[in-house]
Amino acid sequence: MLLASAASAAAILGGWQLGTAATDGLTASGGTTTDGPAGANASPDGSASSGSSSADSSGSSDATQSTDAAGSADAATSSSGASDGTYAGTTVSTRFGDAQVQVTISGGAITDVTALQLPDHDGRSVQLSNRAATVLQSEVLQAQSSSVAMVSGATYTSSAYLQSLQAALDAAGF
Amino acid sequence: MSGASPAGGRADLTLPRRAFPAMGTVVSVIVGADAAHGDAAVAATAAVFARWEARCSLFDPRSELSRVGRGELALVDASAEVRDAYALALHWRDATDGAFTPHRGDGLIDLNGVVKALAVEEAGEALDRAGFAGWAIGAGGDVLVAATPAGPDGGGLPIGIVDPADRSTLLSRIDIDPPRRRAVATSGSVERGDHIWTLPGSGPSPFGQVSVAAAELVAADVLATAIVAGGRPSLDDLADRHDIDVLAVMRDGGLLATPGWPRRASGADA
Repeated sequence: MLLASAASAAAILGGWQLGTAATDGLTASGGTTTDGPAGANASPDGSASSGSSSADSSGSSDATQSTDAAGSADAATSSSGASDGTYAGTTVSTRFGDAQVQVTISGGAITDVTALQLPDHDGRSVQLSNRAATVLQSEVLQAQSSSVAMVSGATYTSSAYLQSLQAALDAAGF
Repeated sequence: MSGASPAGGRADLTLPRRAFPAMGTVVSVIVGADAAHGDAAVAATAAVFARWEARCSLFDPRSELSRVGRGELALVDASAEVRDAYALALHWRDATDGAFTPHRGDGLIDLNGVVKALAVEEAGEALDRAGFAGWAIGAGGDVLVAATPAGPDGGGLPIGIVDPADRSTLLSRIDIDPPRRRAVATSGSVERGDHIWTLPGSGPSPFGQVSVAAAELVAADVLATAIVAGGRPSLDDLADRHDIDVLAVMRDGGLLATPGWPRRASGADA
């Protein structure tokens, strides 16, 4: 699971970074491009908000990212624009923590992808996607008002409170 | 009200508790084992709420935020708490791609979306400092529990989710287990629907009610509101970017739940 997640994130981040690398290659004279804060805040960060959500998902929504990666790779190859070197990707925040990968480019192609940092998992099972799915009411935990400590519902006004389950709970606790 | 509840009448959840009105709703406080000092706990909680109302209530024309709205007080001259709350709200506007916003349609700054949760969190800190353990605070759908587990068996505290189709019944239950889950917030597009605007062009929300469980109450409250406003795209995006569990009730009554929202074990008791 962890490896699958890392590979998925790496592939996508690699795609982003290659896009940047191809652009940088037009002006850089080879060698390693250092991804300073300014560079990191340009295009990679711009796509981070949409990208990070798809990074965790199982792939169906990754079409845009895959297309980008392929497009960049083609451009890099045909123009030899991507300088050989090792590029660190932007750190991306996920709900598990920060993730960052680096790619090595040789001869216009990615030859290596390495995870620089991956989230810790503190023992919980890792879900590749936190996507909501349809459930039947009989599938979720049931409760009577007498068996809960507090009630959460759409905000009630002071007057509606008097008819609310929370009011019943509060009265029972006095 | 009445005296002590009947001994042994039912399970362990006749916890010592108090309630008081604030922010247009009612705040319920479970004071844990220290029932003897329950009045002090409620007084501390009420004081926190009163301070936040004095700062940010748009129903009180004398509040700082009302004065800002009338142009009598520049935002830069408002108290640090008001400015910080506004900054926090703007942070969440950006983090939700605008699905949550402190800016009302008429241009007024409305911090109701964060202030209630901020007040609950601050009140919880006050109870911690005063030495209360196992407390829980509920304020109009926002629930926060102490960092120390308070459930009957030391596990998670059971929180009921109201059924929006029949508000006298519960739809589901989630046992929140600190520290990863300390908060549950529920937002709806029906009752008091005035505090949620859907995103421009997205039409009415597909969700009648959204509940979010998280480690922090402000996050839970804001994300529940943002998911109601932003619909399914916001649900999928925000559930993936934040460590939250979500139960969403569609307008037709159908349910959507993230994988972490507790399910009944097949054949288990209700």
